[in-house]
Amino acid sequence: MAEPVPRRPLARPAAAGQLDLLPPPVGSRTVPAVPVVPAVAATAGTAAGARELWLAAYLPGLAFEALQDEFASTGPRAVLEGTERSLQVLLVDEAARCLGIRPGLSLVAALALSTELETRVREPARERAWLERAAELAFRYSSRVSLEPPDGLLLEIRGSVRLFGGLEALCRGFEAECRASRLHPVCAVAPSPLAALAGARAGRALRVTSLGRLAGALAPLPLAALRWDEDTLGRLASIGVRTLGEVLRLPRAGFARRFGAPRLALLDELAGRRAAVRRGFQPAERFRGRCEPDYELESLEAVLAALEPLLTDLEHFLETRQRGVTLLRCHLRHRDRPPTSCLLRLARPEARAARFADLLRERLGTLTLPAPVRRCELRTGALLARPLANRVLWGAGERGGEGASEEGFALIEQLRARLGRDGVYALGLHADHRPECMVHPLEPPTGGAAAASAALAAAALPWSATRRPLWLLAAPQALRERHGLPVHDGALELVRGPERIESGWWDGTDIERDYYVACDARRAWLWIFRERAAPHRWFLHGFFG
Amino acid sequence: MSRIDSRLAPLLEHPALWRGRSAARVPVLGTGFGVLDESLPGGGWPSAGIVEILTAARGIGELRLLVPLLAALTHTLPARWSVLVAPPFEPFPPALVAHGIALESLLVVRTTTPLWAVELALRSGSCAAVLAWVERARPRHLRRLQLAAEQGRTLGFLLRLESALKESSPASLRILLEPTRDGARLKLIKSRGGARGAVNVSWSVHGDG
Repeated sequence: MAEPVPRRPLARPAAAGQLDLLPPPVGSRTVPAVPVVPAVAATAGTAAGARELWLAAYLPGLAFEALQDEFASTGPRAVLEGTERSLQVLLVDEAARCLGIRPGLSLVAALALSTELETRVREPARERAWLERAAELAFRYSSRVSLEPPDGLLLEIRGSVRLFGGLEALCRGFEAECRASRLHPVCAVAPSPLAALAGARAGRALRVTSLGRLAGALAPLPLAALRWDEDTLGRLASIGVRTLGEVLRLPRAGFARRFGAPRLALLDELAGRRAAVRRGFQPAERFRGRCEPDYELESLEAVLAALEPLLTDLEHFLETRQRGVTLLRCHLRHRDRPPTSCLLRLARPEARAARFADLLRERLGTLTLPAPVRRCELRTGALLARPLANRVLWGAGERGGEGASEEGFALIEQLRARLGRDGVYALGLHADHRPECMVHPLEPPTGGAAAASAALAAAALPWSATRRPLWLLAAPQALRERHGLPVHDGALELVRGPERIESGWWDGTDIERDYYVACDARRAWLWIFRERAAPHRWFLHGFFG
Repeated sequence: MSRIDSRLAPLLEHPALWRGRSAARVPVLGTGFGVLDESLPGGGWPSAGIVEILTAARGIGELRLLVPLLAALTHTLPARWSVLVAPPFEPFPPALVAHGIALESLLVVRTTTPLWAVELALRSGSCAAVLAWVERARPRHLRRLQLAAEQGRTLGFLLRLESALKESSPASLRILLEPTRDGARLKLIKSRGGARGAVNVSWSVHGDG
């Protein structure tokens, strides 16, 4: 594999001098079916290449699309390129085109044609970000996506064709999704990545699935689609080579001598004779989105409306990764106040935009905005594996219906969104003799593990726990005394006791108490205690009711 | 006569048919107290809807009355939450466990606006029972809760103070609870399709039994 390039001439070499004698190829049909790929070229690289199928998406308008949010008007707009001294028009919109402004014009000439022309200088960083956005979209269609900066994408789609209902449906689906994100790609499909890219750059919607047809399909494409430097293209043009078909028919040895072995290797990649290695695109591990509306947002409803597209992006981001998040941070920035931020914690990984919107509504409803909002930012915590949703025949609560699963966690999240994290909890039992230490708020259990531990705790209760009250006061309440006996709405009758609880000397919150069951005048059953240490005060600690 | 009865019985059980005292059979949940089961319409707590329990003070038996129900519900599969909304004190886990309640199906909600949480829990369909200690509730709020409970097939208990006795209520069942020496005396103030009157239930008040 290290030396796959066959250095020997092709089986039917076409000498450079003979080129003029051949009829110029006008369309793919005039080109011989198997003109280039010789039998000897079937190297390991070719075999590997035959199993791959590449979709190239070329974004000719990326420089413009990356800046479309920046333009203030919808009138004639143009993106410029070049140094400050010599700015040139790079891309124009439809309105500018109608005014006669063409790519390549100088800025001065363009402004002479229309004074209303709104211009922006291209921003490569933004273009890169938008290209990565397109790559995110592409992840729905393939797990092997690579960027071809500055304006191309490659997807390996052999495995996805059937899933998406055929090649054409897949391409159309991807294009539609890009258009929804305001990107306009040209898509081409070929068994080799370079060929697909060349096809897309040439503006041809190639749909070549077999290596046998590749050379024929490539033949009419202009050489410029390879994006070689001007010098090389000029030299090739001077010997009459202007299309890919023509360059592929040049004798290998001569080509390598004149233009170098690396270019020959590129041609082999183009024709699928040599496997091409692409660096995979690594999608971001966290989601970060922000929106900066043109006007300040005064009401909560407006903020939520502004967040909606971000949440949709987030849903898409999570969907393509089949992941969910349990942590979502929302920052609302004001003009000259510290930002308002809210943190959304979910009981389990979630990916649906509608669900996030519901929770944010509850959560933001508890906040008051100190000033109008200028910018909204959304960030997620780490991505987590998300259990896929089940569809069940029965509704919740019906026989066989899933109970505390999906809706159960939704309920907890919704309650927590408004009441805060501590507003909803489960009860835990802690192995201790001190009553106040036995109460132990817990995260609501999400599975069998918690159930098992609670059952264990119950089995390990050291004493007859029915002798404990159902209610405990958060803090013992001191009782008044009359003739040495405690009083609570009248005299208390001590029914049972004392039960001595002495514990906790090791952690500084030790207690020494004698507990009694008492009955008051209204027949409420109380759990009271008397401190063993002086001054032997009485306290109310619980109700049996 | 008995033959006619046996033929009539299946017809009379039709859920659309409502007969004075012996209400049509709706699914019910046992209360855990035989005497109370007998006097409630259908023989137990309704499995969905709103039940009001009124007491003179907090913590004098209203939770004890519902403990057998909670014990049964928290062990029922598929598991649904049992929710305590705005309890007046801390529910004490050792006693709950000792009464057979599975803590992992029990949620506690602390809020100053219990009605909102109650409605949410009732409507969600993920709860088997919602126990709410509510101070003030207007009849239209209660009607909303009643609808939510029916929608979510959830049994909601509103534990209110005696002072609410004067207000009208759409709840199908209203019970006034008065503690006695060994249990409680339950007055059925309103019982749609059931008997009125009072029953005495007894329980081991402080764990002697």
